[in-house]
Amino acid sequence: MTILLQVLSTGVGLAGYYALIAVGFALIFGTLRIFHVAHGTVFMIAGYAFFSLHRLLGVNVFASAVVGVFCAVVAGLAIDKIVYGPVLRRGGGMFAVFIASLGAALIVEAGFLAWSKGVVSVARTGMLDTFIVGGVAFRAFDFVIFAFVAAAFGALYLWLHRTSTGLEVRGLTDNADLAAVVGVNVRRTRYAIFLIASALAGLAGVLVAYDTGLEPSIGFKMLFIGVVAVILGGVRNILLGTVVGATCLGVLTAFAGFLFPEWNSFTIFLIMIVLIIIRPQGILG
Amino acid sequence: MEHLLYIGTLIAVWTIVALAANLVIGYTGMMSMGQAAYLGVGAYVTATLNILLGVNFYLALLIGSIIAAVVGAITLLPLLRIGGFYFALATLGINFVFFDIFHNLAPRVEGSEGLYGLQLPDLLASSAPRFATTVAVAIACAMLCQAVVTSPLGRALRATRDRPDALAALGKDPRRYQVLIWTFAAGLTGLAGGLYAATLFYIDPTLFTLDASILVLVYIGVGGLASTTGSVLGVILLIAFNESLRFLGLPSQFVGPFQQAIYGLLLILLMIFRRRGLVGKYDFTE
Repeated sequence: MTILLQVLSTGVGLAGYYALIAVGFALIFGTLRIFHVAHGTVFMIAGYAFFSLHRLLGVNVFASAVVGVFCAVVAGLAIDKIVYGPVLRRGGGMFAVFIASLGAALIVEAGFLAWSKGVVSVARTGMLDTFIVGGVAFRAFDFVIFAFVAAAFGALYLWLHRTSTGLEVRGLTDNADLAAVVGVNVRRTRYAIFLIASALAGLAGVLVAYDTGLEPSIGFKMLFIGVVAVILGGVRNILLGTVVGATCLGVLTAFAGFLFPEWNSFTIFLIMIVLIIIRPQGILG
Repeated sequence: MEHLLYIGTLIAVWTIVALAANLVIGYTGMMSMGQAAYLGVGAYVTATLNILLGVNFYLALLIGSIIAAVVGAITLLPLLRIGGFYFALATLGINFVFFDIFHNLAPRVEGSEGLYGLQLPDLLASSAPRFATTVAVAIACAMLCQAVVTSPLGRALRATRDRPDALAALGKDPRRYQVLIWTFAAGLTGLAGGLYAATLFYIDPTLFTLDASILVLVYIGVGGLASTTGSVLGVILLIAFNESLRFLGLPSQFVGPFQQAIYGLLLILLMIFRRRGLVGKYDFTE
């Protein structure tokens, strides 16, 4: 029983990261129909920026985190402008954008591969505090993650449901053509979507760099986990869908990692494939 | 010279993979992002039979291709219900699923991560005859693929891609063609896998990851979709280009990342400026 709770607590901790990545991906995929593979790259850029500043240059944690998130935002907007913009303008469809995005992700990953030589880069120096309640060890950092995730989702809810830009975003999710016809400023909305999604991925990157560390292939890994979370939850209701999807996936991966650690990606992707087959619209869709 | 023959053999092997992938992606419009899985199945079955059970290499190669084809059909059948983008995503997942299978279940030689010690027949045992044999097999595969795509079957495949409804209206089930060509391509890829093992002498699970599937995508993307010439051209140009990078004198730890960055850049430029590749007859429209 204690072990069960222990694994559950690990799973919920993981779910926070998954949710931060997944919600940005869902925001972009659900509204703009862009399969943003490089979203994982944006996440990684923030993590490495944070690692370099905090660990290598000894800059204060919060300043490094802010710069890390800023780098993610710049990278996200730049990828949209430099890569997706031209592909779409020249008549490329969803697959073309997907492959171009893959290209962008490969380039950045190669950069980090050359720079870090594939070694895991952890930004923190000390151990993370844990405390034990009823035989279950909780990590203090998991509560930090939880606080950030709750704040981020709260802010997202307010943005989507209380501002005019948020209304436009939701309009794009429902019917992009109709939204453009009734005068939604698609360019400005697109800018806002990439900005916010990248900032959230950046936040996740900073937290992961501090917590478990990064290696160059983590961008792809986290992205695909985010994608599975989004498929689990469905893109119709972005916030609730990703929370449900990420939580299910976090708990599932924690249990799979506990029961058969060798089969971690097998479990995740088998779930994805089975889910795509039986319920492509997601649990809530 | 030894090295040139090795590179030539690798080109021949990857040409077979590219030809198979182009049949599926280019001609039939099924976005396969998991070819590496079938390559791995072919390589592992061939190597296991030959090394651990002492089966004759040709027989092992044949069985490897057949099993790869069967695995191809089995993995495709549940995916037939889904289309377009989700299909691509599911095939992408296949890479990760099979990596874990190779990693956890595939036999390995004691004290190593993979398999080595193939008992190769004379035609494959040393580098010059191996080069000649693999190139001959690759040419035979190219002719076979060309024959397939110029036959009525090839027309049906293109119809499956462009006008599945029209094909169905003529009383022909597009799914039948999808299964047929996917199985055939998986078998060809499995054959290439066996030859790949013979070329490298050593195989381990890291050879058959998403990276290999992306590599195939880059080859046929550059060469051209729905074109036999395109498949061959893409592989020759990119592997030759890749080898010429050696003369730049980069420190060895930068060669891999540099190549990866170039391939990434190529993918972006292709998608912006020339989605059909050099000599392709079809592009990613959807």
